[in-house]
Amino acid sequence: MVVTSYLALSAILFSIGLYGVLTKRNAVIVLFCIELMLNAANINFVAFSKFGLFPDLAGHIFTLFTITIAAAEAALGIAILIALYRHVETAEADQFKSLKG
Amino acid sequence: MIQTLLDFDLRVLAPELVIVAAAALLTIVDLLLKETVSRKWIGILGLLAVLVAGIFVGLGWGHEPYQILGDSYRIDDFSLAFKAILLFGTALVLLFSLSDKDTEKLEAESEYYSLLLTALLGAMIMVSSAELITLFVGLELLSLSSYILVGIRRKRADSAEAAWKYVVLGSVSSAFILYGMSFLYGLTGTTHLFEIQQHVAEIAGTDYQAFLYLSFFLMIVGFGFKISSAPFHTWAPDVYQGAATPVTIFLAVVSKVAAFAFVVRIVLIAFIPLVTTGVWNEVISWSFMLVAALSMIVGNTVALRQKDTKRLMAYSSIAHAGYMLVPPATMGFVGFDLFPSLVFYLVAYLCMTLGAFVVIEIVARRAGTYDMNAFAGLYQRSPSLALIMTFFLLSLAGLPVTAGFIGKFYILMSAIASTHYWLAAIMIATTVISYYYYFGFARQMYFRKAEDSQKIAVSWPTVAVVGMAVLGTILLGIIPDFFLQAFGQLDWVSGFSQAANSLGY
Repeated sequence: MVVTSYLALSAILFSIGLYGVLTKRNAVIVLFCIELMLNAANINFVAFSKFGLFPDLAGHIFTLFTITIAAAEAALGIAILIALYRHVETAEADQFKSLKG
Repeated sequence: MIQTLLDFDLRVLAPELVIVAAAALLTIVDLLLKETVSRKWIGILGLLAVLVAGIFVGLGWGHEPYQILGDSYRIDDFSLAFKAILLFGTALVLLFSLSDKDTEKLEAESEYYSLLLTALLGAMIMVSSAELITLFVGLELLSLSSYILVGIRRKRADSAEAAWKYVVLGSVSSAFILYGMSFLYGLTGTTHLFEIQQHVAEIAGTDYQAFLYLSFFLMIVGFGFKISSAPFHTWAPDVYQGAATPVTIFLAVVSKVAAFAFVVRIVLIAFIPLVTTGVWNEVISWSFMLVAALSMIVGNTVALRQKDTKRLMAYSSIAHAGYMLVPPATMGFVGFDLFPSLVFYLVAYLCMTLGAFVVIEIVARRAGTYDMNAFAGLYQRSPSLALIMTFFLLSLAGLPVTAGFIGKFYILMSAIASTHYWLAAIMIATTVISYYYYFGFARQMYFRKAEDSQKIAVSWPTVAVVGMAVLGTILLGIIPDFFLQAFGQLDWVSGFSQAANSLGY
């Protein structure tokens, strides 16, 4: 089936994204990896809206919403990172460790 | 038949419209007001908007379930009940914020109030939609607003760090929910929950069922995060500690209630056909029970070694998420009467957690530290405050004549009725463990010497908030039958079946 190659691509992207969020030290890369995860889901939606069990346009529409939300999320992530950078003066995510217990 | 926007009775949207109009209006008013004018007025306007929305929710009772906007948005007893709880919680948070003297938060005071309203709007959309796109947009509106609220004290490193952790882990959990939704969409070709339900019924038992599992397990990661249950809870202690206390209360109470409604709505509509094939009891119930048991164990044991009061309350709220997951988890075994016990516990949890956090904030602000030592000798300094805190702690610990006891009792009953004795045993054992850390407060308040012997002054809005929380906890504890009957009389099933005016999606 054609759809499996799209599903494989999105599964790989999602896994790379998750791996990056969990292991990368640079905070900006972490935000990139979150985008990868969200976009993996978008690929799924578009692939399913063409090759799904019941093809339908709703998948495309869903993607438009999630792209917008992902953009807002990235903007917010960067803004919070800048606010945090002013205090700790590093973008290494493993230095953000004042809260623990 | 084609329906247009004007075919619907849009008056049912009144609560949401009031909140969205107020949020927009407050932003504009803030721009027009002179710098010298107190931003308190914006908070008071926000509180008024929440109260007006509450009145509209009250007027909405007693009608047939009604679906609008192409069946994506529905008004039924389920959504009205949850909206009432959300509005009540937000109103108390706003009232408490009005008396809060947190100077760092006050730098962005008007933004704080409008963001609270947009977060509330997101929560209201979450409890009222029956369509994946709308549900996801509502979830993200709540999440994005909460990320900013957590980081609103820009001058504080711990606040910014909490916001960073929240935005990263929150986005990952949203991605998990979205990825899970994409498989649900792929199997059914629709984003309407009821149409999904029909297709899932056809798929159940075929080879495609594996994808249903995949979708469910991806989504439960995100769900677990949003209701802050173990093993997806790691963000909660850091975020609760780093955020300003009113924001913490909002996250612990309003955000969690909305997430519960969101989970229950998606799982009980989309996956309910699996009950007939037995998959529900084997897979879905079990995964919820495992998450519930883990949350109780992790929340209650890790709380034992916490010194920071807000962090301790975060672990307590993780444990409470575990208790509250028991009714939905055992639903397949005992039928549809999960709602009275779930909603009863949610309201009880709202009152006691909110009250405890407010008292912690009053005491900690005076002492200048959120450490447990801040409570030392509170009984000698402010006996009334100490007694009120003791009352909330008794309720959180689940001792008799409080709301927490009755709520926990009914949840325990649902675990026993479903013959999952191990779950009931874990619940009882972890509750006993929780006595230790709740009474840690009592030890400090009654048996330690106070360093500061002055009485703590409390402003009247705070008194009103604490009073409402005490009243709620007492009433739910003394006349539980009245509330359980009232909750039982609501037409919960209507929240999970098509309304009469549906387009047949």
